[in-house]
Amino acid sequence: MNPTRETFGNIPLSSQLAFYALAAVATGIFCWGVRRRWKLWQLGQPISFREMITGNLLAVWERARPGARRVAVDAVAQQRVRGHGFGTVAHLSLYVGFMALLAGTTLLEIDNIVSHISESLKFHHGLYYVVYEYTLDVLGLLFLLGTLFFCWRRARKPAALGHRATDWYVLLAFLAIGVTGYLVEALRIVWQQPTGLAAHCSPVGLWLAGYFAGLGEPGARSAHFALWWIHAFLVFGFIASIPFTRLFHFVAGPMNIFLAKPSLGALPPVTMEEVEKTGRVGVSDIRHFTVQELLSLDACMECGRCEEACPAFATDKPLSPKRVVQDLKGLMEETAAGLAAGQTEFRALHEDTIKAETLWACTACSACVNVCPVRIDQLRLIIGLRRHLVAEGGLSGTAATALRRMQSNANPWGLPPAERAHWTEGLTTKSTS
Amino acid sequence: MSTAPDVPAAPTVKENPSFEILYWIGCAAAYDRRAQRVARAMVRLLNHAKVNFAILGREEKCTGDSARRLGDEFLFQELATANIGTLAKYNVKRIVAHCPHCVNALLKDYSQFGGQYEVVHHTQLLAALIKEGRLPAVPGAAAAPAGDVTYHDPCYLARVNGIHEAPREVLATALGGKSLCEMKRNRAGTSCCGAGGGRMWMEEDPKRRVSTERAKEALGTGAKTVAVGCPFCLTMMSDGVAAHGGEARVLDVAELLVEKLGL
Repeated sequence: MNPTRETFGNIPLSSQLAFYALAAVATGIFCWGVRRRWKLWQLGQPISFREMITGNLLAVWERARPGARRVAVDAVAQQRVRGHGFGTVAHLSLYVGFMALLAGTTLLEIDNIVSHISESLKFHHGLYYVVYEYTLDVLGLLFLLGTLFFCWRRARKPAALGHRATDWYVLLAFLAIGVTGYLVEALRIVWQQPTGLAAHCSPVGLWLAGYFAGLGEPGARSAHFALWWIHAFLVFGFIASIPFTRLFHFVAGPMNIFLAKPSLGALPPVTMEEVEKTGRVGVSDIRHFTVQELLSLDACMECGRCEEACPAFATDKPLSPKRVVQDLKGLMEETAAGLAAGQTEFRALHEDTIKAETLWACTACSACVNVCPVRIDQLRLIIGLRRHLVAEGGLSGTAATALRRMQSNANPWGLPPAERAHWTEGLTTKSTS
Repeated sequence: MSTAPDVPAAPTVKENPSFEILYWIGCAAAYDRRAQRVARAMVRLLNHAKVNFAILGREEKCTGDSARRLGDEFLFQELATANIGTLAKYNVKRIVAHCPHCVNALLKDYSQFGGQYEVVHHTQLLAALIKEGRLPAVPGAAAAPAGDVTYHDPCYLARVNGIHEAPREVLATALGGKSLCEMKRNRAGTSCCGAGGGRMWMEEDPKRRVSTERAKEALGTGAKTVAVGCPFCLTMMSDGVAAHGGEARVLDVAELLVEKLGL
């Protein structure tokens, strides 16, 4: 016995062709959507993309290695998703289930392509098939479970979590994809009537098939065909939706993790040459951020970890790192739309979008930077904005006094430099003996 | 009795040009009376362990950490350039500082402007000296502090620079083996005292202060002593404990070690 199943079994050639045509349309919409976001980021200051890809392959790899490592550890191995209790469990379940189904579908398509070259190249049978079917059948449950976890969490509306209308669309689409996937499998089992291992390697499908046994082969074939199409439509709808929903973190998250160099404790220096060239210090327009910084805004899922960790937010200060990121993202979109419409005046970044009191509330403690799963550097954004305020004389009160004292006396207390070692007075001297 | 001339307990780089490590004092310990006691405790410990150190004295300037984080990049660069010049003049290679903001600035900010040093926090140096057996207790040394002790991790030490075990190692000695009462948010997950990012120099509504919140968490452990590793945290946690009418003492790790060793 050689357990297997026919790819596109019960699906007529016309439907197969329509399937690939729709796949192309969905991929096209996906690419168009990604391109739209990509163009938004280009509003920012260029980063040295070209520098990254010049030189021989070894040099390029050496340069790309730290970023690739971050993507492998933080994104693929989900290191930065850890540490958030139920949210982590939900994400890991959905992620593992999703990646397994994605890998499974990809393998199936590879098998399908090689079969057109030679039937002998097909590998979707035998022991491989049994392991494949069993793994995907079980991990599909994890996918559904993860989606249900997220539904439950979203229904409870945790304060720090962002909410958009499309969030429910995404979760319900995931549920529908998972459920129709199992139904398609169950109905296939009804008409195909596999036996032994070939049947038992799909435990969930086999269990469901029990409920449809009464349909008989012709009934099961029509229902299978109908549900197969519904499942396909849902999946294509999902692929096309990625750039227009929170799912875009699939793309922007790993990209930002790759590009964002870890910078806890370090800030980008400003040079006099730069100031002479640009005539500005700091960020006073959304376009003064770098391409990578604008991209990082798109990686934000509004998970709210930064807000939960922020000591200013916890003490009712007018600052939430998540809000800052989202407000900047809103301005980025508005500015791009304005530019496209030929406008020359845009909503101001300072005050109209981010208030000075918000910026001054930050303690630079880096808790937000440290917990962000996609490595957004909220502190760097805030310091960029602060630099502009300071350059414009926008800092007043005791902090401005401290800066003046640092300038005049090289210490924020404003005490005489000559008294700097007065603390040593009264220390008992030590003998050299 | 020795007839050799006395040398200062905290010699300057001019008085002790053959120093092995520079003790960076920072503005807080230079001018704030409470933080000065931390520097004095450190000097006692360094001399007790026979560490060959020196200070810059009047030639030290603010590292510019607050200026940089407030957004005054050029004031920061001015101070950084001056300090890097001074450190080069005395050929400084190794630095110890008890202020995590100074540690971070010397380590991560100054390296962008050509200042490359081996920088350690005082708790790292103390932990190493303890391991080497260079900090023995003096005869009749005091007992460990009465009551429970908690430790507040400074953001720029624990989270930003990943230094959270060295202070605990020193505290293990200072507490004579008694274990710490950890706060829920500790190590890299610590919560700010409210002084970073230049907030040290700003007014804050007494009703909802960051320091009051953190002090509440510290006192919530039942601790009678709150240990810290940063002069700004020292100020903030002292204020926070006072705001709760708490009796707990707020002390730097080095001060607790001095008490335990009976120096």
